[in-house]
Amino acid sequence: MQIFFLVIMAALIMTIGLMLQRLFQGPTIFDRMNGLGVITADTILLIVLFGFLDKQPGMYVDLAMAYAMMGCLGSVVLAKYLGGKKL
Amino acid sequence: MGKFDVIRDKSIVGAPVVHLTAMTAVLFGFWLLLSGTFQTKFLIYGILTAVISAWVTYPLLLLPSADETKKYFVFGFNPIKLLIYFFWLMWQLVLANVDVLKATVRPEIEINPRIVKFRYQTDNPMAKVILANSITLTPGTVTIDVTDDGVFYVHALTDGAADGLNGGMQKMVGWLLSEPYDFEMLGEEY
Amino acid sequence: MIFGFNGQEIIACLLMGAGLVFLIGSMVGMLRLPDYYSRVHASGNSETLGTLLVFLGLMVFNGFSNVSAKIFIIAVFVFLGNPIGSHILAKAAYKTGHPVWTKKQAVQHELSTEPTSSIATAEEKEAQANADLHG
Repeated sequence: MQIFFLVIMAALIMTIGLMLQRLFQGPTIFDRMNGLGVITADTILLIVLFGFLDKQPGMYVDLAMAYAMMGCLGSVVLAKYLGGKKL
Repeated sequence: MGKFDVIRDKSIVGAPVVHLTAMTAVLFGFWLLLSGTFQTKFLIYGILTAVISAWVTYPLLLLPSADETKKYFVFGFNPIKLLIYFFWLMWQLVLANVDVLKATVRPEIEINPRIVKFRYQTDNPMAKVILANSITLTPGTVTIDVTDDGVFYVHALTDGAADGLNGGMQKMVGWLLSEPYDFEMLGEEY
Repeated sequence: MIFGFNGQEIIACLLMGAGLVFLIGSMVGMLRLPDYYSRVHASGNSETLGTLLVFLGLMVFNGFSNVSAKIFIIAVFVFLGNPIGSHILAKAAYKTGHPVWTKKQAVQHELSTEPTSSIATAEEKEAQANADLHG
C-alpha cells in the first residue's frame, strides 16, 4: 500500500511540475491563475497522502483543511483584484 | 429595533427558530469533529460558540426575493432532498468527466466551444446560485455570467455538454427548493 | 488476499487508480487545449472527480473514523471553493474582452493567406485588455 501512495505522489509531483510550466509561460494572467488553482488542489492531495505515508494522518489532514480554505479564498481575492471594477 | 425582531419577522419564509436550531446543531457538530475531545468544559465552550455564531450571522444569511417582499434563508434546504440532489449531481459529474476526458485525450481534439444563453428566473435567489455552482462544478460547462433578470451565459466545451444544459439540471434545482421557475433557451453563440 | 492486499485495500487502490487517470487526463488537457476557456474545463476535471476519487479511496483505506470525516469535510470545501474560483476568473476574463476560441475561427485561421495576422490581433487585444485592467 505504501508503494501505491508513492506512485500517486510521484504522479502528483509530475503534474505540479508541468503546471509550473503553464504558470510561467501561460499566455495570459488567467492561465497562470488557473494553473495555480490546479497546483493548490494537487498540493492538498499531496499533504493528505504524505500524512498516510507518515502513519499519522490526523495532523496532516488538519493542515490540508486549512490549505483548502485558504486556496478558495485566495483565488477569489486575486480574481476580484484582476477583474477590478468591472466585476 | 428590538433584539428578537428576527424571530418574529413575518417576511422570512419558513420558521426562524427552526433555522437557528439547525444552524447551531451543524456548527456544534463541526466543533466536535475538529476538537475531537468530549470533556464537559470543551462541550460547553462549543455550544456557546455555536449559539453565538448562529445568532450573529443569521441576519446576514437572509436574501431578499425578486420582488423584495419576502426573505429567504440561504441554507433553507430539505435535508433528504439535498442528499438525493447530491448523489444525482455526483452521477452527472462522473458522466461529464468521462465526456471531457474522451474529448481531450484523443489524438484529434474533438471540441466545439460555444457560449450558450438561457433564462432561468425564480423567486428564490438561492436557486440561481445553486444552478450556477452546479453548472460550473460539472466539467465541460462553466458559468461565465448571470444577470439580474436571470440570463445565464454558459461556456460549453463539447456538443454533449451543451446538450446537457437543456433543462434537466434546472428541473432538479427547482425540485430541490420546491420552487416554480420559468426557463427558456435563448440560443447559442459560436 | 491478492498480492498481500485484503479486500478493503484493493477497493481503495482501484478508487485511487481511477482518480489518478483523471488527474493525468486533466494535466494532458491543460497542456493541449487551445485557449483559456477550454483549459478551465480541463482543470475542473482534476479538481472534481480526480480529487474526489483519491479522497474516497483514502476514506475506504482508513475506515470509519475522525480522520475520514475530516477528509470528507476537505472534499466539501474543495467542491464549494473551486466553482467559485473558476467562475469568477472566467467572468473576469469575459468582462475584460478575452476572445473565445471557436472551431469556425480556427478553420478561418487555417484558410487565411497570412497566418500571422490573426495571432497578432489576438495578442494586441490581450495587451489592450491588460492595459484596461491595470489602468
